[in-house]
Amino acid sequence: MKHMLKYILKRLLIMIITLWVIITLTFILMINIPGSPFNSDQSSNATVQANLEAHYNLDQPYYIQYLLYIKSIVTFDFGPSIKQPNQTVNDLLSRGFPISFELGIITIAVAVVSGILVGIIAALRHNGFLDYLTMGIAVLGISIPNFILATLLIQQLAVNLEIFPTATWRSPAHMVLPVLALATGPMAIIARLTRSTMLEVLTQDYIKMARAKGLSPWKVIFKHALRNALMPVVTIMGTLFAGILTGTFVIEQIFAIPGMGRYFVESINQRDYPVIMGTTVFYSAFLIIMLFIVDIVYGILDPRIKMHQKGGK
Amino acid sequence: MKERKLLWVLLVMLTALFLAACTANEDAGEAPENTDTTEEGNGEDGEAAEETPDLDGKTLYINNGQEPTSFDPSVGFDQLSWDPLNNLMEGLTRLDENSEAAEGVAESWDISEDGLTYTFHIREDANWSNGDPVVAEDFVFAWKHMLDPETASAAAFLAYYIEGGEEYNSGEGSADDVNVTAIDDKTLEVVLIQPTGFFLDLLTNPAFFPINHQVAEETPDWYAEADTFVANGPFMLDSWEHDSEMIFAKNPEYWDADAVNLDYVHFSMVNNTNSQYQMFQTGELDTASIPPEMSDELIDGDNVFIGESGGLEFYRFNLTEEPFQNKKIRQAISYAINRDDIAEYVVKQGVEPAYGFVSPGFTAPDGKDFREENGDLLSFDPELAQELLEEGMQEEGYDELPPIVLTYSTSDVNQAVAETMQNMLSENLGVDVTLENQEWNVFAEAQQNLELQFSRSSFLNDYADPVNFLESFITDSYMNRTGFSSEEYDELIEKGKSETDEEQRYEYLYEAERILAEEMIAMPIRYYNVVVLEADGVEGILRHPVGYFDLKYADKTE
Repeated sequence: MKHMLKYILKRLLIMIITLWVIITLTFILMINIPGSPFNSDQSSNATVQANLEAHYNLDQPYYIQYLLYIKSIVTFDFGPSIKQPNQTVNDLLSRGFPISFELGIITIAVAVVSGILVGIIAALRHNGFLDYLTMGIAVLGISIPNFILATLLIQQLAVNLEIFPTATWRSPAHMVLPVLALATGPMAIIARLTRSTMLEVLTQDYIKMARAKGLSPWKVIFKHALRNALMPVVTIMGTLFAGILTGTFVIEQIFAIPGMGRYFVESINQRDYPVIMGTTVFYSAFLIIMLFIVDIVYGILDPRIKMHQKGGK
Repeated sequence: MKERKLLWVLLVMLTALFLAACTANEDAGEAPENTDTTEEGNGEDGEAAEETPDLDGKTLYINNGQEPTSFDPSVGFDQLSWDPLNNLMEGLTRLDENSEAAEGVAESWDISEDGLTYTFHIREDANWSNGDPVVAEDFVFAWKHMLDPETASAAAFLAYYIEGGEEYNSGEGSADDVNVTAIDDKTLEVVLIQPTGFFLDLLTNPAFFPINHQVAEETPDWYAEADTFVANGPFMLDSWEHDSEMIFAKNPEYWDADAVNLDYVHFSMVNNTNSQYQMFQTGELDTASIPPEMSDELIDGDNVFIGESGGLEFYRFNLTEEPFQNKKIRQAISYAINRDDIAEYVVKQGVEPAYGFVSPGFTAPDGKDFREENGDLLSFDPELAQELLEEGMQEEGYDELPPIVLTYSTSDVNQAVAETMQNMLSENLGVDVTLENQEWNVFAEAQQNLELQFSRSSFLNDYADPVNFLESFITDSYMNRTGFSSEEYDELIEKGKSETDEEQRYEYLYEAERILAEEMIAMPIRYYNVVVLEADGVEGILRHPVGYFDLKYADKTE
């Protein structure tokens, strides 16, 4: 327990340093991209541009701007967005994240459950028809980009058959198509991963042992085989989680879902500096925490890892 | 033992997921509370939510693409904000069916003989949606708010025609020096720096909309949410779920409420052209734009509205870089471009090729169109192009033309146009240009700093007068971006802004445009247009060549 606490504290410290490095790098990159948030197709003049720069402190020297950013991060108040001055960055994040999160959680649940099931079935029917069929579909799922799948789904299920609404985010029915479009890729990855590790595990001695003991096939699979087969899946879960939960720009755009995915992309195109900083910090913190949780879970699932950490010290 | 551990891990993970899901739902439930949603339970993504919100009454479903930048009339300087805002508010003047400035909140006005002082008489029955009367002070407040450097309004330069406006905005003057006064509650007086023939038209621009000063003093960010927003136009803001949807309801306090046919307007925010078209197909939207790749298929349909739009796509020559210091070489490039082909086969969408700078749709005092009156100033003439190129090269003593780089901001259509031009220059002139594309913002910066040699540009009118575009090319203008400077031209533009005799004023502008074409510092390609799909039964939407769409008279028959 003491080891655990020490380990967590150490990790927390590393997390903060990592975050600081990310913030600083982002800032350096940000001030080095040419362009300004105030470039637009509209007419303008020099006075107006100067007023805008002063308003957002962009006329200050870089070190002052940097300190202002650090301050905004420490106080977790990123100020107003430059491109949507009605809204603070905090507004955008607190409004967009729950929606992206909701979409993400459902997608992950669908992807993980169906992915593992398909993987197990394929492994059990190794080289059989079901194996080829599911893995064939999985390869398709990995290779078809989700935005193409999304457009196809809308055209078939919304426009032609009128089963589901086309876009926007209002009711459970509105969630079906985006979740399908988004879950297919990860599901295919998880299915393939589960299948391959499952195949490996199923040949191990302890499985043969379990079978020899006369355990029912389902007990063997779910109690003994699956547990070890899941390790690689847990590994990729961290990044998968962070990626999907914080929103995917393209899917959110196609389905007009007011999540936070688009802020990542558009804030950079628009040079909306406070939003760039806000989303980067948020995303990085989220990703770092997710990886941390995965490591902890990993350690609990597989005692060998904990041993290694003790040995490392 | 092992089993128990596994069970424990699973339990923790499930609890975490469950808690996370709960907090997500709490947050999701919170958001709509800020906005004044009319439909119950719309926020809880659950039982009560409908597919398309059915509003009780005649409702038009349209798409705004994205969240408006801001409904502060001084700040939201773009179509995303001003299209909707134009239907929530009204200035002293409003564009009528003929796209001309007509009485809005002001029922009449007097213009002094020197053309400098405008006195507006505000309607007795002009009210805000909260019941307050619209008073002259609301305009004084709004215009000074726009000019306040602290507001950092991108539109502020439009108000430089008002005496003291530029000084206040640049920090040299004060708010008190801005010469706009409320004589009494219903009389507003404004003094201009020079007679400005298009001032009444300028006032239709949303930047000049009034702000209810009592509300704004109490709630400085009154414009950010539906429950604090006060409107004085045909519609009022019923609900606003940021990034998702807005519902406008007919404003019973509007002075001309009887003319308004719709009970509600529902704005979606769908930013993907395919998705919004698919929503149009399923009837979830009443109007939509045509996805570029479906242009050929749809453009000739019955339900397509094609209208003029004040604006020009053109290419700028950089006069500070070789070989474009030479006029003949610039002209040669222009004569080698076949604009008809570019408009018809490359850009498509029913656009018109540009043989002048000022787009069609600006009516001269004699009732004729500016464009027709000044005629075609350019043409496609490969032979003349060849001649001019040779003469130009001789003048500069070139044996070989210095390399030319044509730069555009990254987009499919821009690339297609650029590649076509590259071909035309190679075939018709034997000149090989190199293409270069840049991310839009990088591109804009480089063009502003005169770092590009030959680069794509676009212009969209802010107000309906030819001088709006022509003024770009006066010496050291922020919009110049070519290095061009001509005293003669500057003088013509100055007169084209201040001349009180409208016919004479247009003469100056015709002349200015001819100089622009002769000097060929910028090369027109095509005019912009508006293409909209409208569902059966939708009618009466006003789309002006310059300005923002107007739903005041819009109707929808089932």
